[in-house]
Amino acid sequence: MASKMSAEVVVVGTGVVGAVIAEQLLDAGRSVLMIEAGPRVSRGAIVENFRNVPLGAKGDTSASYPPRPWAPHPVSSDEPKDQYLQLSGPDAYAQTFIRYAGGSTWHWAGTCWRLTPEDMRLKSLYGVGRDWPFDYDTLEPFYVRTEHKLGICGPSDPTLQWPARRSAPYPMEALPFSPGEQRFTEVVKTLGYKNIPVAQARNSGIAYDGRPACCSNNNCVPVCPIGAKYDAATSLARLEGKGATILVDSVVYKVETNARNKIEAVHYYDQHKESHRVTGKLFVLACNGLETPKLLLMSADDRNPNGVANASDQVGRNMMDHPQLTLTITTREPYWSGVGPVVNSGIIETSQGAFRSEHAGAYFRYNNFGRNRFVTFAALKKGLIGKALDQEIRRMTACTADIVAAHEILPDPNNRLTLSDKKDWLGLPKPAIHYDVGDYVRKSSEVYSLPIGGRIAEAMGAIDVKITPKFAQSKHIMGGTIMGEDPNSSVVDADCRSHDHENLYIPGGGAMPSTACGNSTITMTALAFKAADAITSQIGND
Amino acid sequence: MDGQPKEPNHSPTMSRRDALVAGVIVFADGMIASVPKSALAAIEPSTHSRFMRLSTLLINHQLRPEIGARVAETAAGQYKDLPGMLDAIIAIAERKHAAVVEDFFADIPDGELKDFAHWVILAWYSGCSSEKANATVFTYEEALTFKTTGDVVAIPSYCFSGPNRWSQTTVPLANMPKF
Repeated sequence: MASKMSAEVVVVGTGVVGAVIAEQLLDAGRSVLMIEAGPRVSRGAIVENFRNVPLGAKGDTSASYPPRPWAPHPVSSDEPKDQYLQLSGPDAYAQTFIRYAGGSTWHWAGTCWRLTPEDMRLKSLYGVGRDWPFDYDTLEPFYVRTEHKLGICGPSDPTLQWPARRSAPYPMEALPFSPGEQRFTEVVKTLGYKNIPVAQARNSGIAYDGRPACCSNNNCVPVCPIGAKYDAATSLARLEGKGATILVDSVVYKVETNARNKIEAVHYYDQHKESHRVTGKLFVLACNGLETPKLLLMSADDRNPNGVANASDQVGRNMMDHPQLTLTITTREPYWSGVGPVVNSGIIETSQGAFRSEHAGAYFRYNNFGRNRFVTFAALKKGLIGKALDQEIRRMTACTADIVAAHEILPDPNNRLTLSDKKDWLGLPKPAIHYDVGDYVRKSSEVYSLPIGGRIAEAMGAIDVKITPKFAQSKHIMGGTIMGEDPNSSVVDADCRSHDHENLYIPGGGAMPSTACGNSTITMTALAFKAADAITSQIGND
Repeated sequence: MDGQPKEPNHSPTMSRRDALVAGVIVFADGMIASVPKSALAAIEPSTHSRFMRLSTLLINHQLRPEIGARVAETAAGQYKDLPGMLDAIIAIAERKHAAVVEDFFADIPDGELKDFAHWVILAWYSGCSSEKANATVFTYEEALTFKTTGDVVAIPSYCFSGPNRWSQTTVPLANMPKF
């Protein structure tokens, strides 16, 4: 049994990666202590927050999760003092994530695209980026475990699966399409594209893992009000039931090494700014793709002058995401976005091809968010009244849609997180990130993704198309603790273990050497399972 | 200061609603500030009554008085001569024997009076005092925008479907719900 001071395995972070690893270790009979920077709150409180957010701000996912002073995370604000991320470079690495128990799966869409075999061999096949240190078939069983742990639904028809190379069925059938998605699917079929059901961590038609079936509350982002979508918060009580100790409002700020350069302890501040020390045999850092490299850099000591796990100088470099462009389309005929979950399908085949030697692939999705919050003020600004106003809101809600093109990006060491001289409430440095999506992505938008988007818009019967002028981030934080075989050019090995410290694991999106185009959480979680197996084996041999 | 934890794991928590009920505003950085008292000043019952009268003239739908009371309170803080503006617009409508807003809206003079009329409509349709992130929220689920699409689209976080029961036929635009 873990105490609040020590355990066999200390896990920093209670998001999906930390939660999955913790449960594997608990099931293996190991004591686990989890440390979370932010608070633990009820689903009801977050739903209530969401409902009390002004209509014009409901698209701000962070608005429902006010940060605690000691655990800041990005929020929408024009005030410089409120800016947590210190951004520079041609493109803004403007992420949202939350520091709450359960992590950012609270507000993820639940989308679960696997990587393909080709996605893991960019260097070998296309001469760009990096290869993974293992192949798809090595990762595949961990995908299966992820799908069953999180409760990921997906199509049983192999022609609709991504990719079809899989060793076990999804635990639930795919969710049905809404009328708008069905119409979109038929439209893009005329262009030769296949809009397929997205695998998603949402209960389809049945209860699963003690959570109810999805009932189309259309609020997966920022919070599923009924817990039909997996989020890590749904697992915390179960982990405690298995013996985990979970500390919240406890901000780990230092990783301590010993004379053998093993990790000896982590130190955290409580909300009273008092410091505490926690010891363990093995340590797992899973506290977000930005917070983890920040913590490693903050932990520099005499033995590790560039930061813990950073002999390669790669910690904080290669920051990646899925740079996205949105086409807001107005149609003559109603599509009625907002029926069903917020993301339910996508054109993913466009992420693959020999063109990847020249430019990025892209994935297209029909965003299925209800449109009232996007169109109401625009309709009101037209000065309409009475019946005309009612009709205009209804028309704009039904006849506008967002088509998103999400791109892959290559690891670039210049896209880098460093420690800012700006300090947070605890006096800890805020993260500074320099970012440029690069020519690989820009060329894709010019010659590939936007031309395809334009054809899709035309086929949908668009009478107006507005394209976002700059790349936005998809909030899929990857790369900052990159994986590889060579300790000189990577931070962790194939099991997400630090090259520099034999008892330190750094699993999650930060380890991913390539992004592909699909959302990263399923791969992060598969890596968590792989790391958990390695930890279980290692601790058993100690 | 390493040492024994001093029960560090119980944080003071405040939901957005707690804050609103307490008459405070939670800013993005977690700081809390008092709302000016004038913004929360109770209005005269007659003003509330006149505000609801005006609202039913400007909006051809059923309106809930308790939401109107919240809008009227904010209006009283924003418009110094609220009673006079209510009387002026109501008088215009009554001169026209207006049954619906289309009967008299064009007669409201441009400027402050018409801007106020548009603001009242915005408040009922959006449920908020403005488009801004710091707007006052009067209602979420009763905002009239959702009524215009209530036959097709659930208000986000609510639902009217069952598991996997949302593949209905596309609903025509012309079928405006009654509300």
